[in-house]
Amino acid sequence: MALLQISEPGMSTAPHEHRLAAGIDLGTTNSLVASVRSGNATTLADDQGHHLLPSVVRYLKDGSVQVGQSAQNALTDDLQNSIASAKRLLGRSIADIKTLDGVLPYEFVNTNSALPLIHTIAGDKSPIEVSAEILKTLKTRAEETLGGELKGVVITVPAYFDDAQRQATKDAARLADLNVYRLLNEPTAAAVAYGLDQDQAVDEKIIAVYDLGGGTFDISILRLNRGVFEVLATGGDSALGGDDFDHAIAEWILQQVKQTTTDNNRPQKIKNLRQIMQEARRVKEALTEAEKVDVSTQGFEGILTRTQFVALVEPLIKKTLFACRRALRDAELEKDEVMDVVMVGGSTRMPIIRERVGEFFQQPPLIDIDPDKVVAIGAAIQADLLAGNKPDSEMLLLDVIPLSLGLETYGGLVEKIIARNTTIPVAKAQEFTTFKDNQNAMTIHVLQGERETVEENRSLAKFTLRGIPAMVAGAARIKVTFQVDADGLLNVSAEEQLTGAKSTVEVKPSYGLSDSAIENMITDSMTHAKEDMQARKLREQQIEADRTLEALDSAMASDGDTLLSKDERKTLLKARSALVTAKKSGTATTIDAAIKNMEKTASFYVARRMDGNIRTAMAGKNINKFKHEGKQ
Amino acid sequence: MSSKFKQNYFELFSLPIQFPLDKQLLAHNFRELQRQYHPDRFANSSDQERRIAIQTTGYINEANETLKSARLRALYLLELQGVDFELCETTHDMNFLMDQMETREALEEAAQANDPLDQVDKISQRIKQNKQHLEDDFQHNLEAGNLVEAKEAVLKMRFYERLDDEAKHLQEKLEDEMFA
Repeated sequence: MALLQISEPGMSTAPHEHRLAAGIDLGTTNSLVASVRSGNATTLADDQGHHLLPSVVRYLKDGSVQVGQSAQNALTDDLQNSIASAKRLLGRSIADIKTLDGVLPYEFVNTNSALPLIHTIAGDKSPIEVSAEILKTLKTRAEETLGGELKGVVITVPAYFDDAQRQATKDAARLADLNVYRLLNEPTAAAVAYGLDQDQAVDEKIIAVYDLGGGTFDISILRLNRGVFEVLATGGDSALGGDDFDHAIAEWILQQVKQTTTDNNRPQKIKNLRQIMQEARRVKEALTEAEKVDVSTQGFEGILTRTQFVALVEPLIKKTLFACRRALRDAELEKDEVMDVVMVGGSTRMPIIRERVGEFFQQPPLIDIDPDKVVAIGAAIQADLLAGNKPDSEMLLLDVIPLSLGLETYGGLVEKIIARNTTIPVAKAQEFTTFKDNQNAMTIHVLQGERETVEENRSLAKFTLRGIPAMVAGAARIKVTFQVDADGLLNVSAEEQLTGAKSTVEVKPSYGLSDSAIENMITDSMTHAKEDMQARKLREQQIEADRTLEALDSAMASDGDTLLSKDERKTLLKARSALVTAKKSGTATTIDAAIKNMEKTASFYVARRMDGNIRTAMAGKNINKFKHEGKQ
Repeated sequence: MSSKFKQNYFELFSLPIQFPLDKQLLAHNFRELQRQYHPDRFANSSDQERRIAIQTTGYINEANETLKSARLRALYLLELQGVDFELCETTHDMNFLMDQMETREALEEAAQANDPLDQVDKISQRIKQNKQHLEDDFQHNLEAGNLVEAKEAVLKMRFYERLDDEAKHLQEKLEDEMFA
């Protein structure tokens, strides 16, 4: 076996030299660094013995920077210069973040660039720079502990991270002067940490990784076959985490104290809410050990039993299990085919979570490794391997892209080029043609997501292929190639086959949709006061209203004239203006009602458009043609 | 390593050139190739070696995706036999298209039913059965050398793929609404 491996391409035959490598878990709340030392992967502590580095960066007037606990301690007093949860901003454009104005305590700088900049006392900082500071701190810690320069690192990212977010993570590493061997999906890292690839008893096994962090939930289904890990499917909820369990307790406390509080002073109220949130978290953590816990806050004294707590959080647990079911369906597997369940994230310490996940998968989950450290440990093992320190290892990690990649085609529809859960790296080409006679240019609009229409997906990039020779419509052959590398980063090129006219773009910036992940970007450092939650609900409905209006407007602009009668048009416009009014002056509830009404009113039109698409196909016309650039 | 590109997808995975597929053998041979050519095996190699590794695995992955999907595998088999597919070519079978439209409508109606998830499940089952018939039809025609009919079957498969996607989305949407 050893002989065979020496002859494998890329395998060094030179005498073995140990290269220093580390795994980094760059987290939203906390970050860690781990390394393999004398065959053991462990997380590395700072000089005070702390393993977890709070992901908070504080900029000071003299230009110096504090990272970690000291920055976290300053959060309340120096809010504007202390940046927490930068990970939630990574790879997001200023447009994405705009919807959060008033929610985030930071002052964003208006620039022409797509990159959001946070104004601090030491100048304007991008989330990439902030993340780089965290990476630098971990790098220093690792190099001091290991006694030498790091040759390379593996950095973990959430499985749902899109192209722009992965790119931003790599950029941060570059700023921190780190050589990145590989970005690794967090769930894969966790499975590696448990050494599930070492099990020789079975040829193939299916592993589920259940990751419940502070603010996010992820479920991943992996297949392991003789050392090769394959991600079969991923899913989850980027706005569901341990914080929501705190909220559930806080809501309960609020109901109990309602009668006793009459104080209408707003700052006092917020302060009270903050205390309630702190108490809620304490109670939740205490319930991990105890069957019942005394609750004491705001003059309220009571007891919360574990049974009561379970009733409060039942909907949250169910939601995570539904996502598990969906991921299994995506992987085309049944529950009883899952052979190992790995628990990740501090929130999986809750006994009820372990119990319910065990019930769902019909087996006790793996909990031996600290759920906060397990991802970093797995990353360290992979880094050690990529550094070439374990030439005998069979382990190979195959990742998939989490979201489909496609192109805008005629009528604002999306043609998928690479489907989600395709193994990467991958290159795929598809031919398209022109829509008009003598069309000499074509706009290539690259999108990421699962939905059918452009508006509902995330726009990654837009570029133009010029120099198409004059031809009748449909005669040109334009080959569009998507290439995704092993880190999940995308390159797109378009080439006209006759002349060889070519255009390429490295997909980098991200514009477009604000997804729920950002809308819910209430930082972990801030307490979710009830007022904030209501404001957030309202903002979400306003965004939803905008989305509905945009969808209607673009539909009517493209085929309203041909598909709608005068009266039908009138009815639609009436519902439209009702929605506009509700959006301006309504509450979350009234806006929601107006959206529902708008959708109901427009349902006949939606159905007709769908039929229209099929009829176009029947008439033998192309629905996949690009719209001409000039039409936009 | 570049010789890999000269092999057709079936040869690449040492599989017989035919529609029926030994999925386990494909999965096994896919992993063996990945083990040899994945870019992670070249983490400390030269840029050029790394680029070649990315291209080679890209080809292996595309081949794997193509063979795994019944429709893409069928289409590929026809292309190997010299059958051309025009850009965006589609079927003109009126009865078939009417049936498609009705299934779409049935899906929309199912969403409004009292037990929407069960209804959608039923339609999903029907879509799967029809897909299977189409695949049998293709296999039969390909063996008999009826390439025109075989091609027609491939064009129709695309519609079931879309319906399947739609049913899946609907299921996910309905599940989400249960928690809204």
